[in-house]
Amino acid sequence: MSHVVSRPSFLAARKGWGAGLVAAMIGLSLAASPAIAQHAAPAAAAAPANAAPPPAPASTPATPPAGADTAAAPGATATAPAAGADAAATPPAADAPTDAAPDTRGLDTEVQSLKKDVVDLNRDLFVLEEELLFPANTQVAVFLSMDVGDFFALDSVQLKIDQKEVINYLYTPREVEALLRGGVHRLYLGNLKVGKHELVAFFSGKGPNDRDYKRGANLSFEKGIGAKYLELKINDRQRKQQPEFEIKDWE
Amino acid sequence: MRLQRSKRPVLRRVCLWWRCVSAAFAVLIALGAGTASLAQPTYFLLGHEAPDFALRAVAGSNVRLSEHRGDVVVLSFWSSRCSPCRTQLAALDKSLSTYRSAGLQMYGINVDDDQTRAIEFAHGGQTVNFALLLDPAKAVSRRYEVDNLPMTLLIDRNGIVRYVLRDYSAKSDDLYLQQLRTLLNE
Repeated sequence: MSHVVSRPSFLAARKGWGAGLVAAMIGLSLAASPAIAQHAAPAAAAAPANAAPPPAPASTPATPPAGADTAAAPGATATAPAAGADAAATPPAADAPTDAAPDTRGLDTEVQSLKKDVVDLNRDLFVLEEELLFPANTQVAVFLSMDVGDFFALDSVQLKIDQKEVINYLYTPREVEALLRGGVHRLYLGNLKVGKHELVAFFSGKGPNDRDYKRGANLSFEKGIGAKYLELKINDRQRKQQPEFEIKDWE
Repeated sequence: MRLQRSKRPVLRRVCLWWRCVSAAFAVLIALGAGTASLAQPTYFLLGHEAPDFALRAVAGSNVRLSEHRGDVVVLSFWSSRCSPCRTQLAALDKSLSTYRSAGLQMYGINVDDDQTRAIEFAHGGQTVNFALLLDPAKAVSRRYEVDNLPMTLLIDRNGIVRYVLRDYSAKSDDLYLQQLRTLLNE
């Protein structure tokens, strides 16, 4: 009797194990599926695992109403001929944009003002960040300017303050062009204690006759209370047919 | 007889217990596997702005990534010791010649310790029509967390990293072209 009773229960226990194993296998296959999809499936299948959703363009909210406007106008003209007369057809066509236009204009101005607010807020945050990170008492800023540039094509500038490298900046042709047009680049912004310091700048690039050219310039300066502004100037010295590098201390 | 009858509920209990244990075990495995699948390494920069950099090119002028906003940019991290990298560079070069006019920019970033090998490669027989950049300090490779070679990133016109390919094969090449066309069409 006991044998008869225990048999189905033993089978039930086996079924339980079987169900467990099946569930485990499903779980494992679910876990493996994204990896498989990433390697084997085409882009469409791999997109959720591998790709991020495309960012919505900033102008997206403004676009649909404009599109709706333009779509509404032909719709209005299409329904108008159903009324019959040409004269009757014109007023609805004219009315449709006038009805819709004020709404979109209002929306556009609202969007524009919001964008302006965001830009203003961003500017204020930037100023606040700079004030907090680089207080006027300890602030040191190094700028770079270039004049003419016939004898020197700038490639990079390495800056050391108190024998410690603070920046190594590579210039692209576009940036050099901007400098030659009169632009001034803020190369470095940092903090320094009050007292004596030494600034060393290494300029590398192409010199006269397209030769590799590397020159250095140094300046010892006194940092007082208040911000310190220094300018690295690259000039052409016509008499020597050589570039000239100097560091100017803006009081 | 009485004793035998008394065994029934015990056996039932044992069966029920086994069922519960196996079901709990299965649920645990399924949950573990699910979390493991969620924790699979997805590239951290996907959907984020590509970190800006400026690098020296093997030949030509320096390159700054942020100057190419408005273009679709393909960055391929490669090494001269990795043979799939060379094959991939040739394949990328082919796609560049096709899609350059649609606003495609391409850069190969070399991660070799010995830069002379990269320079030899650039000036050797197998040349490509895009700039090969040198990253001697590996600062850019670290910022982009390059964990496999070749590794190719597709950056959209807004400077967002949209796709990453961590290997090179015929299949991945097809996938790359598909993704590239998507970005160029946007």
